[in-house]
Amino acid sequence: MRTSLLNPTAILVLLLIACFCVAQTQPTPQSAGTVLRLRVRVKVGDTTRGLSRKRFFLIKGSLEQNKTLVDEMLQRPFISRDCYYRGAGASERLINWLRENDCESVYCRELQPGDVEGPEAIPEFQTAMTAGEKEYGSRELARKWLTTNLPEKLRDGFYKGHQFGIEGTIKQAEALSGAKVLSVMTDRNGTAYFTDLEPGTYTLSNIIPTELGATSLMWNCEVKVKQDDRAFEKPFLIMNRQEKNVKCVALERPLPVCEK
Amino acid sequence: MFSLQRSEMFIATNASPMLSLLLGAKPDSRTLVMKKRLRSYGALRLDKGRQAINISLLRGEARGLFVLLTVFGSVACLAAVSFHNTALAQKRRVRKPSVQRPAVPAIDYSRFSHATKKHQGACNTCHKVPTANWKKVREYPDVADFPGHDACVSCHRQQFFKGAKPVICSDCHSKVSPRDDARFAFRNPAVPSQFLIEFPHDKHQDVIARIFRRLSVDENPPFVRTSFTSGFTSANADDKTKHYNNCEICHSPRSTTPAAPPTGWPDSFVPDAATFKDAPASHASCFSCHWKSQPPTNDNCAGCHKLADKLVMTTAAPNRLSRKFRHAREQHVAECTTCHINITKSSTLRGLKPDVPITACTECHNKDGLRQDVSKELEAIDRNRDFVCAYCHTSDVGRRDPPSSHYLIAGREAIKRKDVK
Repeated sequence: MRTSLLNPTAILVLLLIACFCVAQTQPTPQSAGTVLRLRVRVKVGDTTRGLSRKRFFLIKGSLEQNKTLVDEMLQRPFISRDCYYRGAGASERLINWLRENDCESVYCRELQPGDVEGPEAIPEFQTAMTAGEKEYGSRELARKWLTTNLPEKLRDGFYKGHQFGIEGTIKQAEALSGAKVLSVMTDRNGTAYFTDLEPGTYTLSNIIPTELGATSLMWNCEVKVKQDDRAFEKPFLIMNRQEKNVKCVALERPLPVCEK
Repeated sequence: MFSLQRSEMFIATNASPMLSLLLGAKPDSRTLVMKKRLRSYGALRLDKGRQAINISLLRGEARGLFVLLTVFGSVACLAAVSFHNTALAQKRRVRKPSVQRPAVPAIDYSRFSHATKKHQGACNTCHKVPTANWKKVREYPDVADFPGHDACVSCHRQQFFKGAKPVICSDCHSKVSPRDDARFAFRNPAVPSQFLIEFPHDKHQDVIARIFRRLSVDENPPFVRTSFTSGFTSANADDKTKHYNNCEICHSPRSTTPAAPPTGWPDSFVPDAATFKDAPASHASCFSCHWKSQPPTNDNCAGCHKLADKLVMTTAAPNRLSRKFRHAREQHVAECTTCHINITKSSTLRGLKPDVPITACTECHNKDGLRQDVSKELEAIDRNRDFVCAYCHTSDVGRRDPPSSHYLIAGREAIKRKDVK
């Protein structure tokens, strides 16, 4: 008996085999929701505390793969907050006001009545208040909307300078790795979560040095994210000192001297 | 001449030899005679010795099939041409009576749409910033009224003077009458929004969430909450502080119970106001920094307002999976990002999810020696597939299959309710 390839049964069997082969070649979906829990702590003198509200970035690739990028970050000239605001002509009172709460810009803290009037008033705020009162016809509104009458370089020039540097690095990193750079900010205890990560090797960085007293801290570490990691285990601890369980130590450098 | 001869042939022969030829049967003597005649007309051998189509060389089945296909092909061509002509004729017939045309839907002038192409010019073509009435209705300069008549009448003169009560007036006026200029509040909360707000959480957290200070005990957060408000103490907050001004600058505790969903509250469970946090619903939180100088400023509406693909009802009840969770409960007062872990990376409100992972809850609610709220309910499903999880959820959510994350936290394999025996 002759078996023909055009036999309907044969066709059906061939189709089934083809379907099975296609299904086998489809990539198996990776487990979503891989999480990296970050814990950032700093030691100043004998006190250790969580580093709150600092942004960290996760760049795809190992330290070796991102070497050029990291070297560039470390060599980039850094201007401290005090130096920037002095250079922009800010008064010492404004510089202290920003320093008190680790502010990069005037948006970061509430204005107290004593900041705009009285012996401790900040001169830049007083000028902006006067302009606001004229413009809005209300002292209360002038105070609430005070930043609208501050010069740009005093308002957020320092923050924008940082953002410019960060955005440039992110673009470079994304071009290098072909993957999106992720970013989170630490909470008040210095904890942050990177979620929905693909398993692999990453470079954890703060890209722009973080000021801590008279020093600046720069973190660039390698992190291996495992499949099915849900951050149930101990967090990825990073610090400015080498201690037990610390997985990433910052490069600590003295703040640069302000140029006159 | 040729066609006449062919006609003669059909008349001269009967159908059976023809059929035999078509079916490829062995030709009999009458058929051979006919074939001879056909050859003499040149109908079967088109170009002897050179051309491929020579029916005399074909045999049996193949010859029959060839002829059959030729005939069917011809019939199909004729049918197609005939159908095409009929369709054209029908089209011509339809075109004649103009009354058959489908009617173009009339424009509803009572519903102004920013999506209309001619309404997509610069915003300040129509909207004045601030409007003349701002001092009467707001505490700050704002766009607090509809555009003036001149913004509409230049194109819609015809609709403005149509009838005693022109429908176009009802876009802005609560009463359509020449003697009444009363207008709806701007913007009218009863009308769905045509815009979505583009708000980069990450950037705002960078600049305004750098400090944590505590509210004084008697502080009742006012509606207008900006980064520069009075009434805050200067002391730094500690971990026991009940209020954190980083997110509360915009998300203060709600003072009223939200509107019920269109289908009502599931299980008649009405969450109290303190269940939810507020979100800015006016320019108050924005203009304190973005009125001028800091982009996007008041003349760049599109900096924040993006035209939505579909209308957005802003008064909808908050969409919550765990309706029984209360933000205000003392044990739940914490740094917002402790639970809302993805907010600091979000650069837009589009598709923004509060994203609270189950781990945020199980730190307390599924801890050995403390409570086992999640595990207990999962075990209850093991015993009864219809069990409704009610500790955190209302029944609309509680009767679904628990997500795999819940099983993971309980250290178990995920199962489906339908598989429970």
